[in-house]
Amino acid sequence: MTTFDARAWLAWLAAGSLLAILIGNPLYLLLLLLISRVVEAACAPPAARGRRLPLGRISLMILVFSTLFNVLMAHYGRTVLWSLPDGWPLIGGPLTLEAAVFGFINGLRLVTMLSFFMAFNTIVPVHELAGLTPRALHELGLVLLIAITYIPETTLQYRRIRDAQAIRGHEFNGLRAWRPIIIPLLIAGLERALNLSETMVARGYGSTGGRAMTPRARLLMPVGLLLALAGALRLSWGGPDGWLLVAFGALAVAVAWRDLGRLVIHTRYRPRRPTWADGLVALGAIVALLPLIWPMLPGTGRSLVAYSPYPQLTMPPFNLWVGLGLFGLVVPAVLALARGPVAEVAR
Amino acid sequence: MSRKIVTGTLFALSAMIGLVALAYPFLARAREIAGTEPLLRANEIPLLTGLLISLCLAVLLVELQGQAAGAKTVAALGIMVAATSVLRFIEVGIPGPGGFSPIFAPIILGGYVFGPRFGFLLGAMTLLVSAIITAGVGPWLPYQMFTAGWVGLTAGLLPHPRRPRAEMALLIGFGLLWGFVYGLILSLYSWPYLVGDPLSTWTPGAGVADALRRYAVFYVATSLLWDSAAAAGNALLLAALGPPSVRALTRFRGRMQFQAVHRAPSQAQTS
Repeated sequence: MTTFDARAWLAWLAAGSLLAILIGNPLYLLLLLLISRVVEAACAPPAARGRRLPLGRISLMILVFSTLFNVLMAHYGRTVLWSLPDGWPLIGGPLTLEAAVFGFINGLRLVTMLSFFMAFNTIVPVHELAGLTPRALHELGLVLLIAITYIPETTLQYRRIRDAQAIRGHEFNGLRAWRPIIIPLLIAGLERALNLSETMVARGYGSTGGRAMTPRARLLMPVGLLLALAGALRLSWGGPDGWLLVAFGALAVAVAWRDLGRLVIHTRYRPRRPTWADGLVALGAIVALLPLIWPMLPGTGRSLVAYSPYPQLTMPPFNLWVGLGLFGLVVPAVLALARGPVAEVAR
Repeated sequence: MSRKIVTGTLFALSAMIGLVALAYPFLARAREIAGTEPLLRANEIPLLTGLLISLCLAVLLVELQGQAAGAKTVAALGIMVAATSVLRFIEVGIPGPGGFSPIFAPIILGGYVFGPRFGFLLGAMTLLVSAIITAGVGPWLPYQMFTAGWVGLTAGLLPHPRRPRAEMALLIGFGLLWGFVYGLILSLYSWPYLVGDPLSTWTPGAGVADALRRYAVFYVATSLLWDSAAAAGNALLLAALGPPSVRALTRFRGRMQFQAVHRAPSQAQTS
């Protein structure tokens, strides 16, 4: 088991990635990036740490590309660093410091989001992720589990076929040479699928008959989509109340899912009970979102997290309360460090 | 009959919302709202499109899984998703040139042989499972799942020519086309982030024609070469492995569709 419930981690991830999308101030973005790294270092099991993607290299690529792209393509800003001849298509014109900073901030936003997802992937084991499959998607949850279970078996089968063909003197030069591997692999996989389906039927899969969709769920799904469509179109015409329609659409689909989920009889071996620590992690995520919610309240004024380097570069503001709010996302690391070393898990 | 109508309606609505979500940066008008930072308005786009795509995916997955709930379909989907996800694993370990990815050829072939429902689920689930095993879960995942689902779904709607050469040409052309279309759609996800450039990035207030021109410049400058490798890779894989794979999958389709019908003793006596 991981440090906290997968649902608490999901709340942490949702808050972190939402903040990364909506915050434009580089100081807060850097703080968020730091928080995600600290949480991963504190909560990831030791074995998972060696398997993570090289975030440093990926981040460097994103930041360099984003900065260069913007500085070459956007010719706004007052601080001119260099000028390219105006006749050059797309890139011709003044290259400004403001454009470079804007590109860097965009890259930083992507890197921060990536960092949160990478931490989530490293910390939460695959079986707990599969366990998050909603009840309404019972059959697809089963497909997911079969696929995850059979991936090692498929890899082994691939090696067996490759070795068998190599022993026969087969040489792998060109794409067509892969036919003697791919086709047996495909046929063996489908044979296994037939055997598996017979085993499933023998153990009672589908014996209770198809679960009929309730009339309410059947109605709510198209209604939800219609509301979302209406909301999106309303927003494109400049009506901020379109968000309300989109939210009602999402609510209708969520209610349909809940109705369908209730039709599935689901038993869980040794279910994990939510603890007060899981609650604290979720609460920390909500606290971190407060700087975004605050400006939406009537009479509270402008956004606390927006920043633009155009037209003249200025130092981004730093609000202490916003910074403290973001520290709500560091709760998992604090609790994990208080508990002691993270237990090793089978991933 | 009513089920078919509801399914058709859901498909039509999802397709429409998917199109609106993907085309949203082209539709969005300039909005000057007092007290609202322009940057925050620009960042609404990825949030809204992500929400819309996730909603479509949620509805389509529920609807289609209900129609594919048989043990054989579930098992075949699981195994084919596993096999295709292994290819993604190989792709991450040994990256191919540009946007080349070996996962789309099996999705196209699966959809072509087993039909649009199977194709959609195969595409969407392959992207989900491969993202989980390669630690690639991210905000881009709903877009990838939705688009890969449509790759499989549209493959299932293709005609089935009798002549092998025509079938091969059709599949190669389809793979080639989706290599570009997939990139074109996925690039839309990141495009609104690059705000501020008048020539190639999304700017609130640009009209449809202007936004399309900007996106065309952005796509040609950043993605065309990358997607060319993806399209060429799809075409090559389908040319080399397509015909024998289609034959193998078609043989199994017959076995998958076989069903023993149980009749009650009273019915057996009367017949």
